[in-house]
Order: sequence, then structure tokens, then C-alpha cells
Amino acid sequence: MALIHPLQSLISNSAGNLVFVVIKSSVLAFKCVDGQYSLVGRWTDDLASNETSKQSEDATTVKKLKDNEGQVVKKAESPAPGIAFSLQVRNLTLTHDESKLIACVDSDKSVVVFEIDEKDGANCLKLIKRQPFPKRPNAVTIAENGDKVLIADKFGDVHRISINQSEVVKSEEMEPILGHVSMLTGVTLAKNSQGQNFIITSDRDEHIKISHYPQCFIVDKWLFGHNEFVSSFCIPSWNPSWLFSAGGDDSIFAWNWEKGSKLSHFDFSDLIKPHLTKAHRGADRFQNEKKDVIECAVSRVLTCESIPFLAFFVEATKLLYVLEICPKSGALTLKQSIKFTHNIVSLSESHDEFCVTLDTSKSDDEEYVNFVEYDQETEDFMIDIAKSEAFNKALISSVKDDASVKADETDLYSLYGIISLKNMGNIIPDQL
Amino acid sequence: MKAKPLSQDPGSKRYAYRVNKEENRKELKHVRIDEKDAGDKGKKLDLPKKKFYRQRAHSNPFSDHQLEYPSCPDDMDWSRLYPHFYDKENKKMTKEVTIADIGCGFGGLLIDLSPEFPDDLILGMEIRVQVTNYVEDRIIALRNNHAKKMAYQNINVLRGNAMKFIPNFFLKGQLSKMFFCFPDPHFKQRKHKARIITNTLLSEYAYVLKEGGVVYTITDVEDLHNWMVKHLEEHPLFERLSESWENEDKCVTIMRNATEEGKKVERKKGDKFIACFKRLPTPSIA
Repeated sequence: MALIHPLQSLISNSAGNLVFVVIKSSVLAFKCVDGQYSLVGRWTDDLASNETSKQSEDATTVKKLKDNEGQVVKKAESPAPGIAFSLQVRNLTLTHDESKLIACVDSDKSVVVFEIDEKDGANCLKLIKRQPFPKRPNAVTIAENGDKVLIADKFGDVHRISINQSEVVKSEEMEPILGHVSMLTGVTLAKNSQGQNFIITSDRDEHIKISHYPQCFIVDKWLFGHNEFVSSFCIPSWNPSWLFSAGGDDSIFAWNWEKGSKLSHFDFSDLIKPHLTKAHRGADRFQNEKKDVIECAVSRVLTCESIPFLAFFVEATKLLYVLEICPKSGALTLKQSIKFTHNIVSLSESHDEFCVTLDTSKSDDEEYVNFVEYDQETEDFMIDIAKSEAFNKALISSVKDDASVKADETDLYSLYGIISLKNMGNIIPDQL
Repeated sequence: MKAKPLSQDPGSKRYAYRVNKEENRKELKHVRIDEKDAGDKGKKLDLPKKKFYRQRAHSNPFSDHQLEYPSCPDDMDWSRLYPHFYDKENKKMTKEVTIADIGCGFGGLLIDLSPEFPDDLILGMEIRVQVTNYVEDRIIALRNNHAKKMAYQNINVLRGNAMKFIPNFFLKGQLSKMFFCFPDPHFKQRKHKARIITNTLLSEYAYVLKEGGVVYTITDVEDLHNWMVKHLEEHPLFERLSESWENEDKCVTIMRNATEEGKKVERKKGDKFIACFKRLPTPSIA
């Protein structure tokens, strides 16, 4: 059993010398000097740690329900479908000037904003705001040059809050700027070639919606083509009118969002088939007679900053796929696949370098993080072993005695929550 | 054990009725009923009886349903709903849907609008399965019984969740009228997002409505009326139409008198609150 819980999320600054990670309900900051990393900041969500202890007490008392005749029936608590319930921190986002770090916190459905104070060697993370929301925030993007953030929640609404003032807005007073009648999975701002601003939102009902910004009441178009939920999408900085999206479908989609046209798609079903395990077997209630229903979904798709490649991974697999994007047509071809020693939990990108965090919970390995760099000479992506080792070493030495980040079997399922976004209506018949 | 509902009890009248109607529906739903079908062999079809189509009055718009919807408007096969308006030679529709009744219930409005707008295709959307079946059976019977006059060819219904999937059916600016008649009031505050008129959903209705198109609302719940008016008035793409406009508009008259809910309110001598809004031109953005 590994010492520490898998890292749910990781993000680097553009210089690459500051790395922020999430372990359970803590955010940690590491600084890199001459190839050596050291812990320079830390914040732990106190609400979450209280909540966890309260939960474990609750878990011993089984929820009681009454049936139609008033008889008490016992029902074990289980997470509701569509919600990977956990008390965690998600969606680390840096403002463009990298002066602030934003994260979503599940314990009180809030968004936290940190000022990054590099001068403070003891703790560079200064909490300046904790804004609670009526519904769980699920995606974040920066707006108005870092003055505001846009928060997309699990109820389908997008809210806008200011991050430079520490006052908290009452959640009853918040009016959404935009909404879907579906859980939102992504939000981002984009500019078209005429310089007009747009807000793009994705949901678990196959929709990618493009509205004007800040005139969000004017819907420009939808991108139609997904047959399953959309879990992730991204816009490459080297061609801002393109967009790549993925989710419950067997394909990665390439779009020209400005024109509203689909450029291409890349079907990965044959590639991934040999790597699917019993973890991908559909739950019993969705099984067919042969018990061979397989379910898989892409967790994340990300483009490189300056070279025409994208990377994606399928939830609960060890493989990172890199696709080459034709800069003229948007056609996608397989560049390479990189197999890690453990399942990939998260994927991030910084300056054409990918970074994955791995689920080491079932082993004694200490490969929590792997950096994958693009080698100009061989023109291949490869694991940067020295950098990965340096980081893992610093990580372990910083937190090995810390009980709050130790591995804990019970909440590992929350690392694999993407597949639960699948539409149940196609499987469970309607109750008339 | 709880007793099975009548609709699932094979011995019940309701079950037998539903099975019979379902077969009928499968056979006739997408058939083009022509003049030649009328007359000699044209036997009258009985209009469906509402009592056999009872179901819960509410459906959760947020939950996953077994719905059929096109992946985009271009994939929608309208010829199945309006076979009379399908040009077989050119393989395309001669008309497109321009009027939508969102939450059409038992279809009273559709049926009264049909002769008033012979050149428009009118679509009712309803989320409840049995209610949709009722409207389908009603339209099948009406088309059959009026085959000589080719009546009721321009209306149909489909089961759908308009709050989630309206952009899957209609192109930008396709609709000229949208009706919201006696929508579910969702009284509880935390259920307000489930209301059919919210400021976020209005942006999607504005997308499918053409400039100058009209949103019609009617309800017997004053709170809901105030809510709908407030949200429509706050929305930059809608402007309220005057009372004198309402008094002259034939759709308002039909809406006031045609729908089942409207008749029920009439019987109970309740109030009916009406508000109509015009879709304003989309402002140009620098």
C-alpha cells in the first residue's frame, strides 16, 4: 500500500518552477530550484477534515427508510449515480498573470482563491476568498483579465464572481449568467477571428453551447455530434478557432467552433479495447444477459501549447495517447501511446510538456507523478525520468508523516467518477 | 406487496385499451392519410378516452428519460410526423415547423390552431408518455375522420424534454410562435430552476425564435404569472406586447379557450393570466 493518496490534480506555472498539487483535501505548492523541488506552500480544507470524521460516524448507522406499508427497511448508503461524492479539492486554475490560484472545494461547495506570495518561503498560499455556491462548482475559467472567474456548477448554471475582493456574495443573491438544464462539465472563454468574445460550455447531455460574452443571453450556436456526455474540451492556443472535445463517446472530436463545423474525429475504440479491465464492466443493473457490457470514457483531452499534438486518456487505464493534429485540416492521427505503471488519475499540460498523476494506491511504488516531455531530436514524447523522480522524492519527504494525506481505500472510487455521467435513461426504462 | 397499477395489470380494461391503441398507433402513426382512404372504406375512428391515459401530473425535467431526439436539427425526420407535407420527388419537406406548443398536454391548443394556420406546421412537445400517446391517438383519429378535407395534417406531437433538447429539433430562428400554456408551477423555491421560463432558458428560446416571433404564456397561478413576466421582462431579447395587442390576437383567444387546463379553470371560475412577448432583434456586437 502506497504511503500517500494519489494526487487528484496537478498544475504548473508557465516558468515550470512552481507546481501545485491536490492530495485529498490539501493543496500543496512545490518550488523547483536547480532541478530540486521543495515544499513552499500548503493549505488544508478544515471543513473537509471535520466532515470526514463526521461521515465515518454516520457510516456506522445505516440509513432507515420506510416502505409503502410503513415497515422500516434498511438500505446501505451508496453514492447516487452521476455524483462521485467526495470531500476533495478540484480544478486547480491559475490566473493569466499567475498571481492567484483558484480551486473548487467540495466540502462546502465553494471556490477558494489564493494569492501566490513567492516571497513567503514558509507558505506561499494566502487564502483571500472562500465563496460558497448553492450548487457544487464543477468547472472554472478566468475572465476579465483575471478580475473575475466563471464557475460552472453541477446544476447547469454559470456564475461570475470577482476574485480581487475578499467579500463573499450571498448565494441567494447570485444570478446565473448562463445555464443549461444539465450538469455542466466545462466552461471556457474564446475569441473569434473578428475579436468577439464567446463563452463555451459543455454538459452531460451531449451539448457544447457557444454564447456571446459578456452578452451570454445571445446564444450563437451548438456543436452537435456527441452521442454521449462531454467530459472535457480544449482550444489550442496555436489555432483559437478550433476545439477538441471528448467524453462518453468512442471518439475524440475536432471542431471549428467559429464556423460550427466538425473537422474530424478519431475513433479509439479498437486501440483501447485490449486495455480495458474488469473495472470497465458496466454495473450489474446495466448489464445484458451475456454480462459483457463495457463502459469507458475519456477523462481529459488537452492540446500542446505550441506544437500540433493533443493527449487524452480513458478513465481507469494506464495509457496516455498522443494524437497528431493536421494543422490544415484538423485530421487526427495516432502519434504514440505511452504506458504508465499505474492508472492515470489526472492530466495537465504546460509548455508542450504533459504531466500525469498516477493511482499508486495498490502498490508500494512511489511513482505518483510522471512528466512527459517532447524531445525535439527524436520528435517523440518521453517520460522525463530525472524530473519525475526529483518531484516524487520531494513529495514523499514533505508529506510522508502526514496522516491527512495518507492513502485511504474508502475514497478512491472518487478518482473514477467520469463514467457515472453516462445517461441512465437509455438503460433504465422510464417509470410511467 | 403493493398492487400493480391498472395499466400494468393484463386483466384490466385500461391495459387492454392501451395495448389496442398502441397497435393502432404503430400502424397509423406515420401513414399518409389521403382522400382516397376516406369515404367507402373510411371507417370512423373513435377519439381516444382520456381516462385510459392517466399518469402522474409531473415529470422531473432533470432526470434521464428514455427519449428519442435527433442529434441535430438536420437529422430530424419531419416527414414521419407530417407525411402530407413531404415531397417524395425532391425528398424534402415542403414546410417546416414554425409553431411550437411546449408542454402541450392533451393537445387542445394544437387542434384549435390547426385550421387557423393551415400553412404552418405545428408541433406539440410533451414529456409525459401516456399524455403524448393520447395526443397521438387523438391526431390519428382526427386525421382519419377528416380525411376528405385533409384536416389536421399540419399538427403533431412528440415526446421530449424541451428544456434540455429544444436546440436539437429547431434551427436558429426557425419558430415564429412558442406557447407555454398552464406550465407546472413548481411552487417550492428550490424547484424554481425546474420552471419552463427561467432567464437562462429564455436565451435558448430566443435562439430558436425568429426576430419578431412571439412567446405566449398563460397560467391560472398568479405567482407563476408574475415570475414569468418578471423573467421575460428582464431578458434583453424580449419585450412585452400590449393588452390591446392581446385582445386582437387570435392565438390569445384560442389559448384562452382551447386548452383542457383552460376549460378546467373556466369551470372552476378561476382566473387566467396571460402575457405575450415579442422576440427583439439581436443587438449587433462590436
